[in-house]
Amino acid sequence: MTTISLTSRRSKRRKRWAPYWLLLPGIGWLSIFYLIPMVQLASVSLQEGDVFAWKFSNYTDALRQFAPQFGRSFLYAGLATLTALVIAYPLAYGIAFRGGKYKNLLLVMVLMPFLVPFLLRTLAWKIVLADEGVVVGFFKTLGLLPSNGRLLATSFAVVAGITYNFIAFMTLPIYVSLEKIHRSLHEAAADLYATPAATFRKITWPLSLPGVVAGTLLTLIPAAGDYINAELLGTPKTSMIGNVIDSRFLVVRDYPTAAALSFTLMVVILLLIIPYVRKVGTEELVG
Amino acid sequence: MNSAASIAVKLTGVVKRFGEALACDGISLEVPDERFYALLGPSGCGKTTTLRMIAGFEQPTEGRIELFGEDVTGLKPYHRPVNTVFQSYALFPHLSVFENVAFGLRRKKMAETEINARVTKMLDLVQLAGMERRKPALLSGGQAQRVALARALINEPEVLLLDEPLGALDLKLRREMQTELKRIQQEVGIAFIHVTHDQEEAMTMADTIAVMNKGKIERLGTPITIYDDPRTSFVAGFLGASNLMDGKVEAGTVVLTDGTRLAIPAERLSGFGGAVKVGVRPEKVRLFAATESVPFPNRLEGEVTDASFIGVSTQYLVRTRAMGEMAVMVQNLEAHRFQPGDQVVLGWPSEYTFVVRDTGLVDDDDQPD
Repeated sequence: MTTISLTSRRSKRRKRWAPYWLLLPGIGWLSIFYLIPMVQLASVSLQEGDVFAWKFSNYTDALRQFAPQFGRSFLYAGLATLTALVIAYPLAYGIAFRGGKYKNLLLVMVLMPFLVPFLLRTLAWKIVLADEGVVVGFFKTLGLLPSNGRLLATSFAVVAGITYNFIAFMTLPIYVSLEKIHRSLHEAAADLYATPAATFRKITWPLSLPGVVAGTLLTLIPAAGDYINAELLGTPKTSMIGNVIDSRFLVVRDYPTAAALSFTLMVVILLLIIPYVRKVGTEELVG
Repeated sequence: MNSAASIAVKLTGVVKRFGEALACDGISLEVPDERFYALLGPSGCGKTTTLRMIAGFEQPTEGRIELFGEDVTGLKPYHRPVNTVFQSYALFPHLSVFENVAFGLRRKKMAETEINARVTKMLDLVQLAGMERRKPALLSGGQAQRVALARALINEPEVLLLDEPLGALDLKLRREMQTELKRIQQEVGIAFIHVTHDQEEAMTMADTIAVMNKGKIERLGTPITIYDDPRTSFVAGFLGASNLMDGKVEAGTVVLTDGTRLAIPAERLSGFGGAVKVGVRPEKVRLFAATESVPFPNRLEGEVTDASFIGVSTQYLVRTRAMGEMAVMVQNLEAHRFQPGDQVVLGWPSEYTFVVRDTGLVDDDDQPD
């Protein structure tokens, strides 16, 4: 009698702890490869030269000096995210509701660019936007570009490059949330006097918001830290905060400033997305 | 709004093709206002397509659809004064019960106070008061069903369309909702067109049943009429069980292959001649011992081969000399009189004999459950 209750209590206790044991590898991995470097980076950001010194002026100095790059980072990332949303939403909508038997093929095509390395993809855009290239010629004949104008080495090129590089991250989450919307919901809305526009506004759009939120985050966050596009398609005048961090770390070897910039970027992104996720990403969507 | 005699929905020669497949093969029907009308048939018979064309989700390939005399054939769903209760309910998952029900009124730009009053009243009608703020995910099947019904009815449609509305409910709840639907239909007093593959459900609720098979209406009438006189073998098999035997029409009676004559009301033979199938329902046949006198004109001698007791009734299989095996259902009012091996006589009055055209039987996988 007692033995039975003892073993059962023991097995109950073991059951209660099982999830935590299962968490252990993940926690271990994150502590070693995420948490420790973060603490390390934080301490570097407060160094005076090579010595830890609680030097908070590293932050204020860096911000003062690189405010334009910060501004551009968020401007370009914001514009690219918006452009990606405008392009990706109809694309995802088309695949989800009109794709029919070609759905999977179309999805593979969305992912196809990822078979090419990031760097090569961006270099390819250099050719696409080249001064003698087709795109420039096309814009010139349309009169959208002056005859001496160029696309390469402009903010347009940088934003376009970022948009292109991250558009799949926007398309796929939106596709997933649209795909889940049952066709009969559209019919029910039409049955209840909603025009196609009203159906989109009241049913499709709200139900696709989780995908839109996920997509914008997956695009905005890496885009804000990106420096390859600005490096390859832009000029020093279009450089973003990623370029500065890159050069501070690897060229100038000014580690405290680079670390301070990295931290600032992280905090700003967090401050931006928390209210956004709270506003659209909570109960309204899950319910 | 409309007189009782007016026709709510009229279909004239409606054909619907999906590519090569013919879903509806010339459907013509008239649904009178204020009636409960059932489209009954196995899956793939075209009943749902017919309903979807009335709702406007599908366009007929040929033919014409009218609502109260007005041609609505080309009209979009949101321009038609009908509403639908969907098979899977299709409640909007991100909206509360209140907003789901208010959806149609909001599209019509009704004043907020009016919307409040109407939604409250409608939720009362379907017994969901107090559930206004729930999300559909937190509703039981029966509650979701009621919300779907309220969401459609609140718009005061001229006709309500129901696409297998009870299919997802368990048996007990389905029975309750059948009664409930009938009550609500009588209360709101509009025509309900109800698509179902469940013959019992159709017979319980509907004033008129249209039995569909392979894109056509095979039989149309009140439940009692089409049950007692199905006219085709498909309808006879779809609406309950029946014993069907080969025979031919001859001088106002039917003659079985062995020469036995069966009495049948004269009007049942109108439109029939030559070879037919003759039928009688198992529960209409009475069993007598071979020595008893049988007070019915129709008599067949046979031997009991099987007797299974199923509570309210006993089901006998009787091998008749004329016709092979026949099923007989006897209510358990008296002691189980017969055992396998007993010699018996089957008897039934003439009004229970019917003849049918052979239109095949229901496929096994289409069997109503």
